[in-house]
Amino acid sequence: MEIGFHPAAPMDLEQAEAQGTTATRDLVARTDAEKHVVQMEARYLGLLEASPDGMVVVNPRGEIVLLNARAEKQFGYHRDELLGQKVKSIIPEGFAERLIADGTRTAAEALAQQIGTGVELYGRRKDGSEFPIDIMLSPLDSAEGILVTAAIRDISVRKDTEMHLAMTAAKYRGLLEAAPDGMIVVNHRSEIVLLNAHAEKQFRYWRDELIGQKITSIIPEGFAERLIADGTRTAAEALAQQMGTGIELTGRRKDGSEFPIEIMLSPLESAQGILVTAAVRDITVRKNAERHLAQMEARYRGLLEAAPDGMVVVNQGGDIVLLNAQSENQFGYSRDELIDQKVTNIIPEGFAERLIADGTRTAAEALAQQIGSGIELTGRRKDGSEFPIEIMLSPLKSNEGILVTAAIRDITLRKKAEKHLVQMEGRYRGLLEAAPDGMVVVNQHGEIVLLNAQSENQFGYRRDELIGQRVTNIIPDGFAERLIADGARTAAEALAQQIGTGIELTGRRKDESEFPIEIMLSPLESDQGILVTAAIRDITVRKNAELNLIQKVEDLNRSNEELEQFAYVASHDLQEPLRMVASYTQLLSRRYKGTLDADADEFIAFAVDGANRMQRLIQDLLAFSRVGKRKLELFDLPSDRALRQALLNLSGAIKQSGALVTNGLLPEVKADEVQLTQLFQNLIGNAIKYHSSGVPHIHISAARNGLPMWTFSVRDDGLGIDSQFFEKIFGMFQRLHKRDEFEGTGMGLAICKKIVERHGGSISVESKPGSGSTFHFTLAAIEATSSTAIEETNDDTSSIG
Amino acid sequence: MTIQVLLVEDSPGAVRLTREAFREANESIELHVASDGLEAMAFLRREGIHVNAERPDFILLDLNLPKMDGREVLANIKHDEGLKTIPTIILTTSDAEVDIQKSYQLQANCYLTKPVQLEKFEAVVKSINDFWLTTAKLPQRR
Repeated sequence: MEIGFHPAAPMDLEQAEAQGTTATRDLVARTDAEKHVVQMEARYLGLLEASPDGMVVVNPRGEIVLLNARAEKQFGYHRDELLGQKVKSIIPEGFAERLIADGTRTAAEALAQQIGTGVELYGRRKDGSEFPIDIMLSPLDSAEGILVTAAIRDISVRKDTEMHLAMTAAKYRGLLEAAPDGMIVVNHRSEIVLLNAHAEKQFRYWRDELIGQKITSIIPEGFAERLIADGTRTAAEALAQQMGTGIELTGRRKDGSEFPIEIMLSPLESAQGILVTAAVRDITVRKNAERHLAQMEARYRGLLEAAPDGMVVVNQGGDIVLLNAQSENQFGYSRDELIDQKVTNIIPEGFAERLIADGTRTAAEALAQQIGSGIELTGRRKDGSEFPIEIMLSPLKSNEGILVTAAIRDITLRKKAEKHLVQMEGRYRGLLEAAPDGMVVVNQHGEIVLLNAQSENQFGYRRDELIGQRVTNIIPDGFAERLIADGARTAAEALAQQIGTGIELTGRRKDESEFPIEIMLSPLESDQGILVTAAIRDITVRKNAELNLIQKVEDLNRSNEELEQFAYVASHDLQEPLRMVASYTQLLSRRYKGTLDADADEFIAFAVDGANRMQRLIQDLLAFSRVGKRKLELFDLPSDRALRQALLNLSGAIKQSGALVTNGLLPEVKADEVQLTQLFQNLIGNAIKYHSSGVPHIHISAARNGLPMWTFSVRDDGLGIDSQFFEKIFGMFQRLHKRDEFEGTGMGLAICKKIVERHGGSISVESKPGSGSTFHFTLAAIEATSSTAIEETNDDTSSIG
Repeated sequence: MTIQVLLVEDSPGAVRLTREAFREANESIELHVASDGLEAMAFLRREGIHVNAERPDFILLDLNLPKMDGREVLANIKHDEGLKTIPTIILTTSDAEVDIQKSYQLQANCYLTKPVQLEKFEAVVKSINDFWLTTAKLPQRR
């Protein structure tokens, strides 16, 4: 029998060889050709055995005629157990039928349909378990008819993989579709192979409009390039560099409009090579937010930087996350020295603790308690120095949690001012309380806002009974009105008018009794407006003293007047009877002297003497009382005129004594001429009377020495006066000599003193016994405007003999 | 011929002194005395007991008199047509300006203050005599 090869297309070597093996047994003893066939058969058998797939040859009846070791393994049978069996026992379905001729086609046709295609079926092992197989059929002509060789591949793994893959693909597709981002899968040629619904929406394309298109049509720049291998790296490396990072690019919609996107890439291995999945996120809103945020951030930073206070932002860990330039200044650090440092570096105490949640409250509550209140703490500079600060806190929500912004104000000056103020206040209060006068501070409504202990005493109130009350309760009239603004002036002006002047008013005590007071006002600026401080002095005593004084003065004046009246009347009325006595005793003496006895003469002489003396006394007393009685008529007069009159009146005495009277230039004075004359007359008369031996020299001069009074001097070279009598001699009826030494009543100097004192001057004497005397008296000078006033007298002596 | 002088003075002591002083000065003076203002007027008007009184050539009048004081007397004299030509001299202890003024206003011919000392008094009286009764011309008695 010949071996015939009937090639059926396609036919591989195996099949060809397989076909060769269907040589019949009776060909064994053949020739070389037969030997060749046997060789071929062996070779084919070898191939069969060596095939990685299970090989099973099946006859038209569906019986297994041949199988290889692999098939044995696959199905778990021994060869012999399968030879001659129906193929159905190992491939229950799908194989045998395929070979069956049916009404529509012949077996050959049926077979032909299967040839070449991998068919997926199920194999059944000896133990009954099934496994997926993939068979490839090829026909083999033989004497027994057409045999079918099936190459059987165990596709369990493949199937698992396929299933897994299908599942994964499904899952993947599900995920893809459900993804909130647009998902686009791109191949190494930058073509879109896959996209999801979201991406359709984003780019406003239909899916099929994009599949197969270049990615650059929707992401013009930045994507495709990233995937390209260039001189420095492979595509894989290029891709690896992009993985995992969000890349901001610009997407282009179907209508050409662009929008900002962020893409995240991830690789995907596939049969088509490495694909790149891009998760595309439309970041328009985020970009807007970012821009807004950037704006706000810029603005915020601007505000922060421009803030006059130091601004420090602290996180809940107490670290400084942000600070502005002012805080750099305040604390003497540069910004980077403080960022991430603990805030306790610059505010050692009182800040960080306030932010900590503790057993009683959460961090948020802790913070909330601090919000809005100014907290005084101590700040520490870089150089270690400390300074007082006031911080105001406010919360700031951020991705890092709640941050706390502290506005830090350096209150060194304020603290100083406060301390100063407290000091001043303390001092002021101290002064107020210690003041000897009552001190009452009144506001512009006339209400008492402050008072001290002394005023409590004065008015008999307790402090709290007066604070807030109207000042008219204690000073009914004259005070409140002075402070009131009226049509003519403002309150300030009204007040200004009162400042500095002592004002006498009446105070009213709690018991309604009143007492005289003197108030001195001074203004006090305060945040409540202008306050008025009144220093109140109880002048009851002073007033009483004044009244007493006035009374006394009145009494004194009256008494004086009475006295003078009396003196005048007495001396006047005494004159007449005295005249009788004196005259008649003189007549007696004249007519009967020598006619009566010596005793009578002596008696009469004493009587006459007595009467005469009495007359002179009375006259002097009268003269003295007249000095006071007569109203002082002061005129500007040249004092030398009064001198000349006095000298005239004394001409007798001058002639008798031969006295030499000289004078210097004498000024104009304001004086009563008659009394001035009397004054000169008495002094010069004395000078003449109390002369020592020889011719009396008397000199009258005047000097001023820049003083407002002229000092007149009457100098003599007479007897002089012992200093113990300097005061006495100006007394009334004071005499230093015996009656028989010098006549005189002792009234002369008393009258001089009275005259000088009435003119507002004073009189005194310089003297030494035996060296003469100088009497000085002062009189008021005339004001400098008078052209005849003389400043200094020259000793231009002129004499009146 | 005697000179008739009326002295109006209430103090007898003063009267006697005056009389003595005038006697010293001029013996031909006859001194009549009225001791109060009323009597003085009666004398001058020759009333009552003075119906036969001499009209005086000269009157010496004190100011402080009882019943009618010298100022009134002076006024009466100087308002009386028949009497006003008689020289009337005020002779008083007062040296008060007001008295001097008043007297001259009432047309006294002269005002003299009585000095306290006797000597000075006598000198004044002498000077009255020398001036008024010797040197000066007096109107004729009518």
